[in-house]
Amino acid sequence: MNMPLTGAAEPTTQGLRRMGVEVGLASEQALLEMVCEGECNALALAWSPTDRALVMPRRHDRLAGFPAARHRLAAMDWPVLFRATGGTPVPQSPAVINLALALRCRVGSSAAHLEWGYHRLGDPWCAWLASLGVADADLGPTPGAYCDGRFNVRIGGRKLVGTAQRWQRVRGCRDMALLVHGAMQLDDTPEALVAVVNAFQAAIDDPQRFQAASHIALRDVVPDLDLEAAMPRLLEGLVAGHAMPGLAAHH
Amino acid sequence: MSTAITVPEDLWEGDNEGVITAWLVDDGGQVNQGDLVAEVMVDKAQYEIKAPAAGRLTIAKQEDEVVERGTTIASLDD
Repeated sequence: MNMPLTGAAEPTTQGLRRMGVEVGLASEQALLEMVCEGECNALALAWSPTDRALVMPRRHDRLAGFPAARHRLAAMDWPVLFRATGGTPVPQSPAVINLALALRCRVGSSAAHLEWGYHRLGDPWCAWLASLGVADADLGPTPGAYCDGRFNVRIGGRKLVGTAQRWQRVRGCRDMALLVHGAMQLDDTPEALVAVVNAFQAAIDDPQRFQAASHIALRDVVPDLDLEAAMPRLLEGLVAGHAMPGLAAHH
Repeated sequence: MSTAITVPEDLWEGDNEGVITAWLVDDGGQVNQGDLVAEVMVDKAQYEIKAPAAGRLTIAKQEDEVVERGTTIASLDD
């Protein structure tokens, strides 16, 4: 397992890198490309933004009110950026910690599929939370949360980590490469981040609104968290299971 | 000769439906074999659809339409 370094990133906390949102998104895509090129079978990256942006799949730019919404969010100092994974708008800020895992998988293996990918990220995350004394972490949906899905990392049913994936064929063979990403709210109040997404909803004239009560920040439950000591353990948990069924042999 | 572009049967597991989130080539555009032409999203996972052959693209399923594994979403003609 390699831990990639990017030239534009500056290491701070061991295992956690701090970089601009745009650089972070590009670094995650670079992980997937490296696996697709056969340079390695598994790569991980932990990063936290030095700036902030509202990040969404590019398809949102087809919405009728998108140009005006983008302008309005930029005026609020929340520029809109696009990401390669699925889902809906998610705020990225220094209050968020991102983990990305890129893996090469053999198609047709019963072990290598979409749900496996989510568990490959989410199960070690839940185990890490348990090590911090958080007993009720699990994976599941969080109705009322922004960018909801079936595989959020939840605490007491509230969304702590949003997860998403991107799959690409490995060039020249039937194998596939998976990028699974998780964004965890560490600091700040859920109200602050939900308000940003709801501002976008209002700006595109979408009546759906999201609820702060569906979200939780890690500091809410672990106020004395020692991030520098805890982050390496989370990364170790993620990479520990890389020799799993469904993971293609190194070429 | 016409070649169908289908959502590969092995792209994801189960009976989940996907949504075409993007066509990356315009209807009527010329593509080469292996070009990335579309993206399909299932459970917040984006999957790439590549052209199985070279040809002129005719889109059968539009962006935001629901698809299943095996669905023909476009064709390629010489």
